[in-house]
Amino acid sequence: MRNDTSAASAKTLFVVAVVAAVLVSAVLAPVAYGAAQSAQSEGTVSVITVSGTITASTVDAVSEDLREARTNESIRAVVLKVDSGGGLVAPSERLYLEVLRTSEQMPVVASVQGIGASGAYYGMLPADEIYVLSSSEIGSVGVIGPGGSTPVPDSIIRTGPDKAQPTAEDRRRTIESLKRQFVGRVMEHRGESLSVSREEVAYAKTYLGPEAASNGYADGVGALPTAIDRAAEMAGMEKYDVVRKEPPFRGGVFLLAAENDNETMVYKQGPGTNGPVPVTQPLLVDEIPNHDPEQATYDSEVTRNVSA
Amino acid sequence: MSAREIVAPAVAFVVLVAVIVGGAAAVPFVSGGQSDDVTNLADRQTDADAVTVPEAAAEGEITMDSDADSKTVLIDRAHANQISDEKLSMLVNTLVANGHEVDFVTQEQARGPAWNESLRSADALLVANPNQPYTPGQLAGVEAFADAGGRVVMLSDPASIQQFGIFGFGTQQQSNDDSALNADFGVSVQSGYLFNMHEYQQTFTSVYATPGDGPLAEGVDQVVVRDAAAVSTADGQTALTAGEQTRLSTTRRADTYGVAVQSGDVVMVGDTDFLTPESAYVADNDVFIGNLADFLVSGEKTADAPAPPSEGSDGPGGPSEPTRPTPEQVA
Repeated sequence: MRNDTSAASAKTLFVVAVVAAVLVSAVLAPVAYGAAQSAQSEGTVSVITVSGTITASTVDAVSEDLREARTNESIRAVVLKVDSGGGLVAPSERLYLEVLRTSEQMPVVASVQGIGASGAYYGMLPADEIYVLSSSEIGSVGVIGPGGSTPVPDSIIRTGPDKAQPTAEDRRRTIESLKRQFVGRVMEHRGESLSVSREEVAYAKTYLGPEAASNGYADGVGALPTAIDRAAEMAGMEKYDVVRKEPPFRGGVFLLAAENDNETMVYKQGPGTNGPVPVTQPLLVDEIPNHDPEQATYDSEVTRNVSA
Repeated sequence: MSAREIVAPAVAFVVLVAVIVGGAAAVPFVSGGQSDDVTNLADRQTDADAVTVPEAAAEGEITMDSDADSKTVLIDRAHANQISDEKLSMLVNTLVANGHEVDFVTQEQARGPAWNESLRSADALLVANPNQPYTPGQLAGVEAFADAGGRVVMLSDPASIQQFGIFGFGTQQQSNDDSALNADFGVSVQSGYLFNMHEYQQTFTSVYATPGDGPLAEGVDQVVVRDAAAVSTADGQTALTAGEQTRLSTTRRADTYGVAVQSGDVVMVGDTDFLTPESAYVADNDVFIGNLADFLVSGEKTADAPAPPSEGSDGPGGPSEPTRPTPEQVA
């Protein structure tokens, strides 16, 4: 009896050991596979998506991805997958600075999908190379914002004449200064390849892919895989991994509506709107196709932009 | 179970936890942490001098040289004129301060014969950005007024020109008066706004204009117009010309564009923004506004023009025409 019990327990123990081994292996095998594969590859290209209107929150997410690319030693090159018509000025400059910081450490290549205009173009300026599709639109180097001066109602008490009420001249000077920053940085980063003058850049024209590739706004026509391969090549990698950084999911009716509302508000701060504008009111760096302030209503611009 | 049997595993537990947690805490001290050296890129990439846009110097006084006796200047408010009181205030104040009278014609005062009655008692007429068409009768009245030596100043922003031709007179569908009148006045405008990407004040549509000929240009060195229209005259004088490399938005051509022209007793300025209190003292805008005020009051209009209905007249567009009922008149 005792021998039987002992034999049975040994058998049970054996089965338990086999099951445990399979379970542990199931967990460890992918890690080992990944490690072996990584050992083959010489590094990773991080594909970071920049899409939609450029706002503080979109730039927060992209900045985090870029920071990770800089600190993670296995990431040796970055590709910006851009599909954006621009956004607010300050976030666009933040994006520019983050991309610049990254490009000083490793190759950065931008790949424009549908549109890479205005603030989005601002953000990709420090990239070593910019690739566009034949149907991509890029450029629109300019700033747009509310003009004129709006009266402050008597019901509001202020401490000084310029509090929350910039004059028309203040606004002109602000927008002109922002334009000079933008145009200046375009000339700094793209000046050598651009065949158009600083003055022509300031016209804020949007160019279609092939024209952009020939006038120096972009470096060539090519899709995302081309950009990834080019980035890896610049980083000296023949075999490489690719990780994709998508922006956080922002679907849902509520969020979308909130975003559109916000955009509408910014656009509607145009001529003819009333009420004081807070000094923190952001200025839009945005691409508005065929913008004609005399004919287009601001609502139609919003519609066009949202549907673009 | 004895105490010894418990102590041994407990000690092992404590030692293991201490080694693992302590080791983890020690790693940053050994590796030196993860802070990067941070370059101040925002500062490095900003050329403060290049991106600073200076304030426009605003100084001077709006003065009038004319020593004319008190004249009456009529300002058209009857044609949905899109010009604010604020914009007109500098010019109106200057005229009033120099002893002249300024009257506004409302829509009520422009009905039927009232328009010509208003003109008859005035020495000068100022029309800015009309947004309703003039009746043939009203056009004839203005023509007779100008023929009699009454001074006419037309101010028009590009939007208004685009919509209503030359100060609203070009839109008369039922009448051919418009072309005759344009020819009489000898001024014309081009659609679109002027801009200069090369030299401008604060924004590309704020164009510098330099003096040309005639009394309006006297003492002027540089005037700033914002979002101006290009105006020209066949046989008159171009008082202000937009600076070099100024282009027209519609054609994008760089050319010599007039922004203020004078043809006899008629002046046309393709801008109203130079009148705003904000812009009135910028550059020599003050001198130009003073010259414009002088022009308004230095005409020598024949008394009783346009002629009252009883005197009659023969030619088309003559003074009698306004007395006819004008069914197409805009109320």
